[in-house]
Amino acid sequence: MDARLRRVNKEIADCKNDKQSNISIELVDSSPFHLIGAFDGPEGTPYEGGHFQVDISIPDSYPFQPVKMKFITKVYHPNISSASGAICLDILKDAWSPVLTLKSTLISLQSLLCSPEPRDPQDAEVAKHYMTSKSSFEETARYWTQIYAGGPGKEDMGKACDEGLRDEVVMAGLDRAHVDQFEALGFERSKVIDVLRRMNYRGANVAQINDDRVVEELLKS
Amino acid sequence: MALVSEQENSIDLTKCSLMQQEEWEVLESIYPDVVSSDTSNGVVKLEIPIEFPESRIIHVIPELPVTSTDVSQPDVAPSETSKRTAVPNLSLSSLPPLLLDIILPPSYPYSPPVIASIHATNSWLHVGFELQRKLLEMWQDGEGVLYPWVEWIQSGEFLEALGLVASSEGDGVIRLPHPAPHVLVPVLKAYDRSIQLSRFSQMSYECQICLTSIKGARCILLSCTHVFCRGCLEDFWKLCIAEGDVGRVGCPDPECVKAVREANEEEVRRVVTEEEVRRWRWLREKRELEKDPTIIHCPLSFCQRAVPKPRNVDDESGWSRLRTCPECNYSFCAYCRRTWHGPHTDCPLSTQESLVLKYVELPEDSPERVEMEHRYGVNNIRRLVAKYEEEKANRQWLESSTMECPNCHVHVEKSVGCNHMTCAKCRQHFCYRCGERLLASNPYVHFSTPGSCLNKLFEFEGIDNEWQPVEGFDVL
Repeated sequence: MDARLRRVNKEIADCKNDKQSNISIELVDSSPFHLIGAFDGPEGTPYEGGHFQVDISIPDSYPFQPVKMKFITKVYHPNISSASGAICLDILKDAWSPVLTLKSTLISLQSLLCSPEPRDPQDAEVAKHYMTSKSSFEETARYWTQIYAGGPGKEDMGKACDEGLRDEVVMAGLDRAHVDQFEALGFERSKVIDVLRRMNYRGANVAQINDDRVVEELLKS
Repeated sequence: MALVSEQENSIDLTKCSLMQQEEWEVLESIYPDVVSSDTSNGVVKLEIPIEFPESRIIHVIPELPVTSTDVSQPDVAPSETSKRTAVPNLSLSSLPPLLLDIILPPSYPYSPPVIASIHATNSWLHVGFELQRKLLEMWQDGEGVLYPWVEWIQSGEFLEALGLVASSEGDGVIRLPHPAPHVLVPVLKAYDRSIQLSRFSQMSYECQICLTSIKGARCILLSCTHVFCRGCLEDFWKLCIAEGDVGRVGCPDPECVKAVREANEEEVRRVVTEEEVRRWRWLREKRELEKDPTIIHCPLSFCQRAVPKPRNVDDESGWSRLRTCPECNYSFCAYCRRTWHGPHTDCPLSTQESLVLKYVELPEDSPERVEMEHRYGVNNIRRLVAKYEEEKANRQWLESSTMECPNCHVHVEKSVGCNHMTCAKCRQHFCYRCGERLLASNPYVHFSTPGSCLNKLFEFEGIDNEWQPVEGFDVL
């Protein structure tokens, strides 16, 4: 199917020529069917200043079947899996149309960062965080942007970007005092972070979750 | 009289001839399709199609042929016969051409042209003296009038001058009186369609699939007005038909995809082969039939047609188990899918299956096995065992690697993505982990409420951890 090759080449060229949209598409190796797309985090969002990379894999029957995309850059967002980068956007599934292009799909991903839809979550934990406390969620998303997407403030953090030195408490969107409180009971810090994150121990939820319940979970894990 | 002849004599006929020639050349270069003969013998034939800049509503009014003076009052009481058949309003962007035969005297344009005849193609308009008079009024001494005529007629402006446009209502509806509207309407429609098609085939369109500019003749205009090149549409629909994805055989535009706008038969017929059209129709029929939950497929492997439950049969009676395939006429039992065994006999236990089970449980080379092989034939037994093993493997695969749609029971294997599935066949939303039905309006709530699938939108079977949800801390 050289129609597929012709179209993909056109799309790549079109992206190169378009300086306005700030979307880039690069080849991974010599194959034009495995690409890396990238765009900047939208302004006025916790992703501002970050640079996000997306793994693009073009199926044999493209453009009649949807392109496969997932985030390479880790993103803290209700509609993106924080673990795998998987995206469950409708246009990547049932609502795909052969008229959609790599560029228009990447633009859709960019606008997904602008408008999280927590009632349609891909990452239920992140979605809960968003619903519980939007400001705390945004703080965490901003921190992830700094750590993983080269967002602003990276210089101030010095070596924090290096593996091992980053603040796992902020990464998980938790309150340091809460983590310290349970760590003081003799639990491993990483375990405390893990359990509190899963229990969504944030904002108004804190008052609703009994300490005993947390300890019980800590003992179980 | 003396004055007139003196004036005529004073006209320079050579100059007139040059002016006529020049006017003709201009007309020919601007409207090459309109002129249909040359001026050499002083006779000019014009064929002027009427092309509206935007499509107009045209109402054909039943009426006996009238003289030109009556045309301005088209509201004449319709005759008895035409009253019975209501004529629909037409929306057209063109009307068939008017044919004008004009004689240009040698002294034209210093003397008026003579209109030998005016006729409307397909007689859509009864041309009277009114039009002729108005045309002649447009002539001005020493000025060519052919070009203004063509413009005036082509734009449809002359219809207004003839009082055929209902301007009082402000909607510009054109009212055409005609003795036989039911004859004229299809003619006008067909003409307009052929004009639009030829216009379409001459234009170029940017196909949004191959991203190439393609001549209209090689494009398809879909009923939703989106245009794609024939090649791309063919590739797309062929693939969908081959994969049985009949719901996607439609306009590829994103809006139309979201609205699930499927192609009609005429469109499909224009794009794919006869064989594919047949399969497309079969798929559509199948989909319609399978909406019925009582459907059972014909057990004959070459047929497999969907067989609905017969109507007017008492569920309590044994006859409710009878199904007869409308395709191959095979009658079978809906419970055991074997040949119909009457309403009173219970479904037979499979002697074949128990035989095979007995055989495989026996140790190899045991005397019982050898005896069975002798009794039924080695090859027969081996064939049955092979079939049994294959079915067993198939069943195991279905159980371990697929999830059944809770609505239509089709088995779905997930390759990638999250655990929220939409059945490709019946559109039922369900969870790939536990097979539970999900709300179409909010399918993800299943993964955020306490239960076995809490937080498991992306998790597969097997990497389950021990985390149990906490009551009362759901999404606020």
